[in-house]
Amino acid sequence: MVVDTSLEELRKATLARFASATALDELEEARVQALGRKGTLAAISKNFGKLAPEERAHTGKLLNAVKNELEAEYERKKAAFEREALAQRLSREWIDVTLPAPGIRPGSLHPVTQIQEEIEDLFTSLGFAILDGPEVETEEHNFDALNIPPTHPARDMQDTFWLTNGHLLRTHTSPVQVRGMRKFGPPLRMIAPGRTFRNEEVDASHEHTFYQLEGMMIDRDVSVANLIYFMKTLLSGVFHRDVTVRLRPGYFPFVEPGFELDIQCLICGGSGCSVCKQSGWVELLPCGLIHPNVLRLSNIDPDEWSGFAFGLGLTRLAMMRYGIDDIRQLQGGDLRFLNQF
Amino acid sequence: MKFSYNWLRELVPGLATDPSALEHLITMKTAECEGIFPAGAHFENVRAARVVSIEALPKSKNKKVRIEIGAGREASVVCGAPNVREGMMAAWVPPGTELAGRTISRAVIDGIESEGMLASADELGINRDHSGLIELANVAPGQRLPDLAPDWIIEIDNKSLTHRPDLWGHYGMAREVAAITHNALRDPVDTQELPEGAGAIKVEIADHRLCPRYSALCFDQIRVGPLPLGLQLRLESVDLNTISNIVDVTNYVLAELPQPMHAFDRDKLHGDTIYVRPAKAGERLAALNGETYTLTEADLVIADARGPIALAGVIGGTESAISETTTRIVLESANFNAASVRLTSVRHKLRTDASIRFEKSLDPENTIRGLARAAALIRQLCPSAVHAGGVTDNRAPAHLPAPIALPVSFVGRKLGKQISGGEISEILGALGFATRESSAGLLEVTVPSWRATKDISHKDDLVEEIGRMIGYGEITPAAPLVASVVPPANPMRLYLRRIRRVIADQGFTEVYNYSFLTAADAERFHFDLGEHIGVRNPIAAELTHLRRSLLPGVFKNILGNARNFQEFRVFEIGHEIHPDGNGALPDEIPHLAAAFYQQHASEQTFFEMKRVAECLLREARFRANPKPAPYMHPERAALISLNGSELGGVFELHPSLLADEGLEGRAVVLDIDLRLAFAAQEAKPFRYTPPRRYPTSGFDLSIVTEKRTPVGQLEDELRALAREHLVSLDFVRQYEGAPLAAGTKSVSHHLEIGAADHTLSSEEATRIRSAIVSGLRARNYEIRGLD
Repeated sequence: MVVDTSLEELRKATLARFASATALDELEEARVQALGRKGTLAAISKNFGKLAPEERAHTGKLLNAVKNELEAEYERKKAAFEREALAQRLSREWIDVTLPAPGIRPGSLHPVTQIQEEIEDLFTSLGFAILDGPEVETEEHNFDALNIPPTHPARDMQDTFWLTNGHLLRTHTSPVQVRGMRKFGPPLRMIAPGRTFRNEEVDASHEHTFYQLEGMMIDRDVSVANLIYFMKTLLSGVFHRDVTVRLRPGYFPFVEPGFELDIQCLICGGSGCSVCKQSGWVELLPCGLIHPNVLRLSNIDPDEWSGFAFGLGLTRLAMMRYGIDDIRQLQGGDLRFLNQF
Repeated sequence: MKFSYNWLRELVPGLATDPSALEHLITMKTAECEGIFPAGAHFENVRAARVVSIEALPKSKNKKVRIEIGAGREASVVCGAPNVREGMMAAWVPPGTELAGRTISRAVIDGIESEGMLASADELGINRDHSGLIELANVAPGQRLPDLAPDWIIEIDNKSLTHRPDLWGHYGMAREVAAITHNALRDPVDTQELPEGAGAIKVEIADHRLCPRYSALCFDQIRVGPLPLGLQLRLESVDLNTISNIVDVTNYVLAELPQPMHAFDRDKLHGDTIYVRPAKAGERLAALNGETYTLTEADLVIADARGPIALAGVIGGTESAISETTTRIVLESANFNAASVRLTSVRHKLRTDASIRFEKSLDPENTIRGLARAAALIRQLCPSAVHAGGVTDNRAPAHLPAPIALPVSFVGRKLGKQISGGEISEILGALGFATRESSAGLLEVTVPSWRATKDISHKDDLVEEIGRMIGYGEITPAAPLVASVVPPANPMRLYLRRIRRVIADQGFTEVYNYSFLTAADAERFHFDLGEHIGVRNPIAAELTHLRRSLLPGVFKNILGNARNFQEFRVFEIGHEIHPDGNGALPDEIPHLAAAFYQQHASEQTFFEMKRVAECLLREARFRANPKPAPYMHPERAALISLNGSELGGVFELHPSLLADEGLEGRAVVLDIDLRLAFAAQEAKPFRYTPPRRYPTSGFDLSIVTEKRTPVGQLEDELRALAREHLVSLDFVRQYEGAPLAAGTKSVSHHLEIGAADHTLSSEEATRIRSAIVSGLRARNYEIRGLD
């Protein structure tokens, strides 16, 4: 029973040393002394052979039990030390997460670009081509082909920049209609967003440089009913809500009949407010059925084809959406304004 | 264009719609109303008052005036008018009356309480006479002012009347109102009352295309005087200045029918023939507005035997003008070519009530109606007047357009709503069109003369008449039935979108700059203005040319924002406009211009922008710009190429450009021709390469060379020498200083080499490396740290 006694002493002494260990190396030292290859337990085991056979079974069990217990305790204690060490390291690794991060931030796209791309996507989803035209246009494309001959008073409606090369800065995106019709012929669904120019003094609500989006659909038997349906669908997409529209007569030489399209005021819902000047309606865009002369001038037979056309003011839409009250901001290049978008 | 509600109601006697409801109906069915204003609401309160006594006030030019205000009552007012005198009948504005936007109160003036005020004609809005009190006649104290009633003015947007010559007068608008409200229209004209017989004056027209019709009528024993107050008020309320009964009558007809007219003093004309002819170059006309115009052969004039007496359709001359002593007149009621009047009006920068109307293509049938209406008014307002002869009427043969064939089904197809033939006839009939069913389902529509000059010539035009009268709100929206097709692609636009996204993600904010260039910009950037398209009518003296570079705009962005930010990034995508010498349209090239400004800049500012360029253009190559432009830093300018195409540059702005504007800091600019960039990208379609299956081996090489040898050149050499073995080439560092000789540098690269079909043996790798090294040595480069 000497072995039993020494095992029990080892167990107690080692557990005490494990318990008192304050660091991983102390724990390790106690483990090596007790459980190492040259440790106490190994020494005790050497005497194992000397035991009487009937004692072996009993002592063997006891030996294993002590070994297992000590190893388990060691692992437990070691894990505790490691946990603590990790905790300490992590604690040392504190950073101030509120410090500003280095590196550049994305800039922003111009508000008109944003509106324009959104509307382009809307039209693309409706099967419209997006066409481009030049900013410097011929008089023929800008006026004559749109049923505005040289002496037509409608030319007064669009103060024009005339150029030394005999051409002009386009006063609307409508000449792209002409280009589209002549290039693709009917049937045709197209839009043409872009920069337009009018010779006007600049103030908070007037700009000589502004942005329009022209659209047209030519097919067989396109009617006013189709136009109303289409504009309602489109504008609901633009404003992300159901809109109510109304048409009233408007004069534009390239459409017949021509309309001014109003939408029910989105601010007051039609009951009247300062935005709609108490009328409940906001004038939004001109539109109409394409004038037969315009079709004819672009080699399309008006007896066979008809269509509608409309012009959206991108500048105006951007101002409406973001509540911009000074149109000059859009061309002003001031980052205090532009960075907000 | 202003319309008087009272005037309209005179022409549509059954009109019961109130003014604001009428305004709405006109907007929805005819033309856009800009507003509706009360006019002369004060006439509800203003009363006639007799001046009883006048008492001077010490130290004041005002007087205390006792007035009799009816029913034996009196009141005291303080009055400063020079013409106030005892016994006169004045217009009294009682306290509490709104007049010209203010409320007349019981004010204490010069210590005296004034119970309201005595008013001038100007203050009452009757005419523009503010020299003294208006003097009334045929009215007793306490009575309302005769013929002066409150009215409403409906203002219509002129632009929406561009195509409607008939709506430039009350009668035309009254026709619309009658049709909209289903009332009868009263024609104020009776041509039966015109005198018969030969005209007292002859009219010769040189060219009937310029003057399709000239009608004239003469009167004798005219007495020039003022118009009755009621008519004065009516003219003034639609912005027509009142002058004298004769002139005012011509304006009345202009505002009513609308037929512009002119009255000449017949005693001041030379000869008995009026000539309508092109002006002779250099002829002059002293016009009624006080200006003298020098005329060209493109101007049409009315002339007598001696010379021009009026600019046709625009303005009359002073020499033959009606004056207080005029007793014999010639009334002109003519029709002039719209384009000719418009060009003359534009040429002389003179827009008049007449020219605005003539340029819309007025109805030639209206001249006689104008004379009849004016004659009736003159007989009424100037009872002494007697006709001298009948009407002179010189006209081109009337050519009335053929009726329009209108299939009933066409209207339904265009509107998307079926309308019966009967309904169509009724609607068109109310607007003055005659319709006849020529065969089943086919209407023959005769356009009235006042709509036939320009406005209505197609069946589509008739669709508009029908649609607006029905009301577009009555049409049920219907989805268009169109084929589902993929629209033509616009890859360039998608490319521009991608470029915008990429550069914005690199911290750049998009700006829009003007398409114009100023002379100052051109000077700063050493641009030749002669190579730019000029603007013939610039909005501002400095915006005289079209830009062919985005850089001046971006430069302005730098100047503007440097005041608020120490560093920032901006970009613009816009068109460079390059003139074509042959008068064709210019070439418009989409460009990207970007600027990176730092107040505390370094060499790295440049490389940051170069990095951005590489984000935009993968595989872009850079080389020093051998001929930097004057606005570039001469040693910090690179040219960019992609797939062999040179398409832009990155450079630091010349420091003096900013210094000249008092700015510290530097700006690096990127300028890319996006059309070339897109083409270069498209030219080399993307192909996938499978990942390498065999490991590569790597080594570093340090080349010692002259300090200014471009690393890019070394890399080109390395690429050429490593040939197909090269997997990757990475710059590691460059070094100057001991132990290297002064003026030299050492440039280190890491090369990875390999083969596609096996792992390189160490002998192969050594052989390849040796070949590269000996190749470099053969080109006189020194290789450092190599045995």
